[in-house]
Amino acid sequence: MKIFVIGAGQVGATIVEALNDEHELTVLDLDEERLAAIVQRYDVHTFEGNGASRSVLSQAGVKHADLLIACTSRDEANIVAAMITKAVSPRTTTVVRTSNPEYLEVWREGQLDVDFIVSSEVETAYAISRTIGVPAARQTDVFAEGQVQLVEFDVGPEASGAVVGVPLREARIPPDSRVAAIIRGDQVILARGHETIQVGDRIVVIGSPQAAQAWGELIAPGTGKVRDVVIFGAGRAGATVARLLLEQGIGVRLIEASRERALTISHELPGVRVYHATGFDPDFLERERIADAQVAIFAMRDDLKNHYAASLAKVHGVAFTIAIVHEAASGQVFEHAGVDVTVNPRQITAEEIVRFAHDPRTQQVVMLEGDKFEVLDITTKRDSEYVGLTFKEMPIRGALIGAIVRDGHAVFPRSDERLRPGDRVIVFTESRRVPDVERAL
Amino acid sequence: MTTAARGRALRRAPFLAVDLLGALNLTATLLKYLSLAVLVPAAVALGYGEPVWPFLGAAAIVGGGSFALQRATRADHRLGTREAFLVVSCTWLGAALLGALPYLLSGDPQLDRPIDAYFEAMSGFTTTGASVVTDLDALPRSLLLWRQLTQWLGGIGIIVLALAVLPRLRVGGRQLLEHEMPGPEIESLRTRIRDTARRVWFLYLALTAALIVILLAFDVTNVDERMTGFDAFGTALATMPTGGFGTDGRSLQPFAPATQWVIALFMLLAGANFALLYRVFVRRQPLELGRDSEFRLYIALITLASIVLGVEIWLEDIAAGEAAVRNAVFQTVSMMTTTGFATTDFVSWPTLAAMTLVGLMFVGGSAGSTSGSVKVVRHLLMAKILRREIDQTLHPEVVAPVRLGRTIVDERTLRAVSSFIVLYIGVFILGTVLLAAEAERSGVDLTLREAIAAAATTLGNVGPAFGFAGPFGSFEPFSDLSTVLLTGLMWIGRLEVLPIVVLLTRHYWRNA
Repeated sequence: MKIFVIGAGQVGATIVEALNDEHELTVLDLDEERLAAIVQRYDVHTFEGNGASRSVLSQAGVKHADLLIACTSRDEANIVAAMITKAVSPRTTTVVRTSNPEYLEVWREGQLDVDFIVSSEVETAYAISRTIGVPAARQTDVFAEGQVQLVEFDVGPEASGAVVGVPLREARIPPDSRVAAIIRGDQVILARGHETIQVGDRIVVIGSPQAAQAWGELIAPGTGKVRDVVIFGAGRAGATVARLLLEQGIGVRLIEASRERALTISHELPGVRVYHATGFDPDFLERERIADAQVAIFAMRDDLKNHYAASLAKVHGVAFTIAIVHEAASGQVFEHAGVDVTVNPRQITAEEIVRFAHDPRTQQVVMLEGDKFEVLDITTKRDSEYVGLTFKEMPIRGALIGAIVRDGHAVFPRSDERLRPGDRVIVFTESRRVPDVERAL
Repeated sequence: MTTAARGRALRRAPFLAVDLLGALNLTATLLKYLSLAVLVPAAVALGYGEPVWPFLGAAAIVGGGSFALQRATRADHRLGTREAFLVVSCTWLGAALLGALPYLLSGDPQLDRPIDAYFEAMSGFTTTGASVVTDLDALPRSLLLWRQLTQWLGGIGIIVLALAVLPRLRVGGRQLLEHEMPGPEIESLRTRIRDTARRVWFLYLALTAALIVILLAFDVTNVDERMTGFDAFGTALATMPTGGFGTDGRSLQPFAPATQWVIALFMLLAGANFALLYRVFVRRQPLELGRDSEFRLYIALITLASIVLGVEIWLEDIAAGEAAVRNAVFQTVSMMTTTGFATTDFVSWPTLAAMTLVGLMFVGGSAGSTSGSVKVVRHLLMAKILRREIDQTLHPEVVAPVRLGRTIVDERTLRAVSSFIVLYIGVFILGTVLLAAEAERSGVDLTLREAIAAAATTLGNVGPAFGFAGPFGSFEPFSDLSTVLLTGLMWIGRLEVLPIVVLLTRHYWRNA
């Protein structure tokens, strides 16, 4: 496959590293030195010039590209590059990196002519949410800006009798959720009403954030939920994480050093407690009992500051720390300092783009149990044969609709709900059925 | 620069920092048009065969005087934020003068003293409803109607009326409107001022008309034996502006319970934000009522106070059954919206119930309504400010904007709300003390409860107080100096204190 990569920074370099063996790459950048560094290490074609310029793209031969990845640090340049490419060469698939969640929203609503958008901030927030969302869960994945969660639990002997040992249709399942699958040994059972959850099973649940918490309490009573997360830095990354956690019903405290930014964010996120302070002030940490927080997330723009603040928080006794790091080498440094988890937005973005390049089905979101099952996030087409049908009438086999997002809100449908065109559906399905499901919707 | 040129340049600094003549010019323009309102009672006087000339005389004096003043001060004026304070203050003083002239010229023995006539007129325009008249039946019908009409004109605001109907004034009406509209400015008006003023007046007119029709129907169908056509008009004209002048010496007591319930409902509407009512009635968005946090609190307070008052008067055996409920609800709505009507003589009520009524005088209706006093939204914001202050005592770094629904209230408005409440309480205390001192001097028998109620009722534009100034009584026994003081309190209360206090600062008048 012929792939164009615009931008040879950290994200670009990571993408090139992952893709250069299998694919024929062309890398565009304004900076000659960056290109030289890439050429030294990988066998790729490079082109010096502005990737958002039509003449440069044409000269570089974008017409022959199968895939264009625009991953400079400038959102608008990336979008323009993708749109020009679409105009010059309609068959080219375009992927854009953005750090502004609003572009993601606009794209979701179909108002941006780009095939796929990856937002570093949102991916970072998802990664953090996966780590701390439901303490009892084996794995947590979030969809639809956090409104829908997919959670895997291992059912142990302490699990509540309300859901274990009784047929699902009689079980007292938390509202706004449903069991998608029961995994018993090698066997994966799509959860129908007559099935029963047993001790030793692994179950997959789709539901609202509140329902996911309720499930955690049912499966592992007493593990509780995360109530108190402190985020240092209310920049875009910190704000996006805060918003996502808030949607999941997690209590968030935000600490921001700039007065102006602190004000803005307190306007935007009414549910968050915002402090105008720095993470370097021991008195402040003591007075506000920051040590009592279950999780501290360091989301300032500067790795050095994050490093110091995280170390100070550790000294004060914060149990679990997560740092957002920006330099490739920072991960190791932070781990050496005792930070529990590091998340590198550029790394995550690059991984997401690479995953897409390997398998450009936009909808595929999560794979479970190796690759036997997948969760798809599909927007229903107007002419889908299923539009207007109730869910129990749909002749889908080996698939199950876990949630629909309608007008921006998640609905957890009952079997007599009708599918409408434009509904975004979260489908849990066997991997071999994916093409059927995609075609049907 | 030559010495002479330097001398000229240095001497050019004006004596006053405010364009006094310009402000007077605009005030005169407004009063000139307002004097036309006197034609209404003049027509009524013709109909009843009563003397017309007091009204025509008043129109001639104020209209002619304004015209002359306008001519005399005609020049290039700088009218801005600064002058607006003076225009609003003077217009209301002038309006009361217009209101007082027919009383004086008629030579009616109850109102023939200038101080009394001016009090009665100020009480009318500021929609207070306090009166020095002891025997209403002795007044000519045309004079009675003029009394009711002053309330109706003052309800939404003289300047709002001018902005709605007059050809374009030479200044943008925005600053003028801000000082006259009751309540703090939460969201700056996005629409044109003129459209806003017209909408508000349209709704005001429509609601008044609706009330007149209902009351006339009660008259015709004999639902209310006491109701007459004159009462229907007069009562409606005093209800929608939350005025409270009655057409009967015993306020609304002689009227049927059905009438009292209807008046209670319309007082409730008059105490709501007219912009909100416009959305509900004209744009047909009734759900807006539930979304408005001020309206929710307004209704909650009325419900709560009605229950408290109902229990108090029931336990004290003042009334029972439907009468207790009706009196409690009516008196709560009447006091809180600062109307001042009464269905019962609450002068005799025990201390607890009486103090509940005095407390309600400090609540007021909603911002953007016709009511006076502090207003519900200011109480709401003050509570939020205090809650934040308490929070920040322990957590000084917390950044917490104050919200009203989804809107974030800016810090300037919050400061204005705090200062308003402090000033309001200050003026109230000063007024009480001065009333007590003057009562002592002039030998009028005034108890503490009566002094407090008299100051609160005039400052809050409510109307009745306790003792001789109760709902069925009169302010006539007060000494002349007290009457002047009470007149001042009504004026200060109607303009919400701040614009007048600003006039008392040195830097209002002088640049350096």
